[in-house]
Amino acid sequence: MLDWLKNINKEHPEFWKNYLTKFDSKPNRFVVLSTETSGLNPDKDVILSVGAFAIVEDAIIIKDSFESVLLQYQFLQDHQLSNDFIIDSKMKKLTEPEAIESLIDFIGNAVLVGHHINFNIEMLNEALERLDCGRLRNEALDVDMMYRKHKDITDKEFTLDDLCEIYKIPKSDRPSTSENAYRIALLFLKLKSRLGIK
Amino acid sequence: MNTIAEHIADFLKEYPPFDNLTFQELSEIASNIHVLNLEKNAILFQINDVLHDSFYVVASGTINLSTIADAEETILNKCHEGDVFGLRPFFAKNNYMMTAKAREESIIYAIPIAVFRPFVANNSNVLNFLLESFAVNSRHTKDTVSGSKQISDTGFYVDQQTEMQYIQSLSYNNSPLTADQNSIVKDVAQLMTNAMVDNVVVTEKKHPIGIVTEADLSSKIATGRYPITETIDKIMSSPVVTVIENVSLAEAQLLMLKHNVSHLCVTKDGTSKSVVKGIISEHDLIVAQASNPGVLIKEIKRAQLAKDLKQIRDRLSDLIQNSIQKNVPLSHITNIAGEINLAIIRRAVELSILDLGSPPARFAWLSTGSQGRKEQLLLTDQDSILIFEDVAPEKYRDVKDYFLRLAKRTSSILEKVGYSYCPNGHMGSNMLWCKSLTDWTKQYNSWMNTPGENSNDLSSIFFDYEIVFGEPKIEEALENVIFKNATNNTLFFDFLGNDALRKNSPLSFFKKLILEEEGPHKGKFDIKTRALMPLIDSARLLILSSNIKGIKNTYLRFKQLAITDSKNAEIYLSCAEAFLTLSKFRTIEGLKNDDSGEYVNIKEFSKIDREKLKNALQPMKDLEELIKSKFQLTQFS
Repeated sequence: MLDWLKNINKEHPEFWKNYLTKFDSKPNRFVVLSTETSGLNPDKDVILSVGAFAIVEDAIIIKDSFESVLLQYQFLQDHQLSNDFIIDSKMKKLTEPEAIESLIDFIGNAVLVGHHINFNIEMLNEALERLDCGRLRNEALDVDMMYRKHKDITDKEFTLDDLCEIYKIPKSDRPSTSENAYRIALLFLKLKSRLGIK
Repeated sequence: MNTIAEHIADFLKEYPPFDNLTFQELSEIASNIHVLNLEKNAILFQINDVLHDSFYVVASGTINLSTIADAEETILNKCHEGDVFGLRPFFAKNNYMMTAKAREESIIYAIPIAVFRPFVANNSNVLNFLLESFAVNSRHTKDTVSGSKQISDTGFYVDQQTEMQYIQSLSYNNSPLTADQNSIVKDVAQLMTNAMVDNVVVTEKKHPIGIVTEADLSSKIATGRYPITETIDKIMSSPVVTVIENVSLAEAQLLMLKHNVSHLCVTKDGTSKSVVKGIISEHDLIVAQASNPGVLIKEIKRAQLAKDLKQIRDRLSDLIQNSIQKNVPLSHITNIAGEINLAIIRRAVELSILDLGSPPARFAWLSTGSQGRKEQLLLTDQDSILIFEDVAPEKYRDVKDYFLRLAKRTSSILEKVGYSYCPNGHMGSNMLWCKSLTDWTKQYNSWMNTPGENSNDLSSIFFDYEIVFGEPKIEEALENVIFKNATNNTLFFDFLGNDALRKNSPLSFFKKLILEEEGPHKGKFDIKTRALMPLIDSARLLILSSNIKGIKNTYLRFKQLAITDSKNAEIYLSCAEAFLTLSKFRTIEGLKNDDSGEYVNIKEFSKIDREKLKNALQPMKDLEELIKSKFQLTQFS
C-alpha cells in the first residue's frame, strides 16, 4: 500500500521519463499487443515473448512493429523449464530489461489493443516495477469486449480463435506471438469499422 | 525483418509480378506494406480521387473495379486474391480513372510506390507485367458512348467486347504519314518503307487533297506508267474520303464499301478542308472486329487446350455482360451465347477424340438441361448424354469402354473451362448415361410409360437435348421415340405436370416474395427453383403434349404455343416475356457474383426492379391453372 512512498525518492530510469513526456500530446496511433507468458499469475509469471504492430489511419504498418523473445533464463531455471524455444526462435532475443525498454519506446502514447489486454498490461506493469518504473498510462481496447459490445453479448467470453473464426481470419500454420498480434490487428480493423470508432 | 513480413513475402511470391523477385527483395517490400481491411462495399478510391502513394494487392476477398458512364456503373474487372490493381500512380500523374470497391469484406496490402519503383526499374519482367496490366486500350479511350477514358488496370482484364458495332469506335493511326503534293514519288516510297505503312496522305496546307497507297504504287509506278521521279500528285487517288473523329466501326465500314476505298482520312471537322487527324485502314476494321462472336467461334475451333477454351469462355462472359448493359434483347444474347457454348463443347469432344483416336462406332453427344435449351448464359454445371449406335454384342464392351473414356475426358476438359460437374451425375461420363441407342430407347420407354416407378432416375432435363457432336440421325431416332411415346400418354403428362407444379410458389399469400429462410442464402430469393424452373418445366410439358418438334428454347416454346393454342395466347405471351425478365435478373446477378445466379439478393434491387420481378411472377398463377385444367392432374397428386 505504501508502494508509492517507497518509490517516491527513487529516480526513474531515463526511458521512463521519456515515455511520460509523450503523453503531453494526444495519441495518433494504435498499438496491437500480444504477449506469451509462462502462466496467468502476474506476480509470479513472466513474459516470454512480445509481438506488436502499429495501426495508423486504419492500416497495419508492417514496418512499425516490435517483436522479441525475452531471455528469461533465471525464471526457466528456477522452474526447471526447457529453454529450447528460445534457441529455436528466429525472433530477436533480448533480456527482460532491454525488451521492456524498447517496447515502452515503441508503444509511446499509443492506444493499446489486445485480446484480454488488461492481463497483458498487468504483466507489463509487473515487469516495469522490477525496473523501478511506474505503471503504464496508455488507454486500452480489448477486441473481445469490442466484439461483445458489437453483438450485445454479455454472458460469454470469446477466445482469439473463436473471434478469428467468426471473422474468417485464417489460422496460421506457424503460430507465434507476432502472428497473434497480426490476427488481433486484423480483427481490430474489422471491429473498428463496424463499431465506427475513429 | 519480422515474422509477419516473412509471411506476406511468402504470399506474394506466388503471384505475378512478384514471382520475378527474390525472396530477399520480397521481404524488403513486405516489411514496408500497409495492411488494410475493407468492409463490404467500402470504397478504396474512386474516379477523380487524387492518386494514392501506394498500389494494391488483394490478400483476401474481392475488389470490383468499375467506371461510371452515363450514370451507369460498368464493372471493368474483379480482382481476386493475389491480383494487383491501382497501378495508375506508376504511369500517370492525373487522378484515378476508376473506382475500386470491395465486393465483399477484403484485406488489402498497400505497397508504397516509392518502395517498389526500384524493383520495377531493375527488372524488365516486372515492368512488362505492370505495363500489360495497365495497358491502355486506345480503342476505348475514344469510346464515344461512354465519353470517359476507360483504362484497363489489372492483369486479367480482357478487352471490353461488344457485338454492337454501331457503338464500337475504332482505333486508328492518328499520326499518319503526310507528304507535300510536290514530293517526289521515290522519296515518298522511301518514307513509307521507313515508317512501315502502306499509305501516305497528300496534303496542301495540311488539308488532305489525296492519298497514295501501295495499290497506287503497284498499279502506276511498278507498271512503268509513271517514272519514280514524278511528283506525288500525279499518282495519288483523289479526292480522299474524309470522316470526322470518333467515327464508329459500322460507319467506317459503310463508307469504305460505298466509295470502294481501303482507307479513310480522318480530319478535324470531317471535310477535306480541315487538318488531317489520322487514317483508318481496312486493317483497323479487322482489328476492331476481333472481339465479335464470329471471331470467338473461329478461335474456339482452333483452340488446342482447355486453357484456351477457358479464356474464350471468359471473353464470352464479358460479351454477355456488355450486351446486357447495352440493352441488347436477351433472346438475342442467349442465341449467341448458345452457339458459342455449343462450339466450346463441340471442340472439347473433338479434342478428346484427337487424344483417344477415332471412335469405333457412330455416336451422338447430346447436351441436356439448360444448354440443351440454349439458355445457358452463365457458367452452370454440365449436363450431357452420350448415345452410340448398336454394335455386335461381342464388341459392346470395348465400344462402351471407349465412349466412357471419351466422355470422361470431355467432361474434364469442360470442367477446366469452367463448367462444373453435374452434382447429380447427369453426364455422358456416367455409366448410366452412356449407352447404345437400343438401351436409350428402352430407357425412354420405361420413363415415359411407367413414370414414377423409377422416378429416381427420371429428370426432366433429359427431355431438353441438343446434338453437339456426332450423328444427327441418332438424335432424330431419339426424338421419334419420345414423341411416339408421348402421344396420348396421360400418365406421363400427369407426372410431368405434377413435377412442374410441385416447385414452391414464389409469392406468399400476401403477394410478397418468399425468401430463403435459412442456409447460406438466407434472405435471398431463389430465382431458379421458384421462378424459372416452373416456367421451363411447364413450357416443356405443353410443347411435348402439343406434339411440336424442334423447338428447344423456353421463350420460343411459349411463343409457339401462343400460335398453336391461340385461345390462351395471352397467358403464353406474358409467360414468354416473364421468362426473359427473370433470366435477365438471374444473369445479371450471376455475372455480378461470378456464380450461377441461382439466388438473387432482393435487398440490392431498386424499387422498380423489385416491382418488375414481382410482375414477372404474376403470369405463373394463370399458367398453373391452365396446366391443371388441361391435364386434370389427379393420378399423382
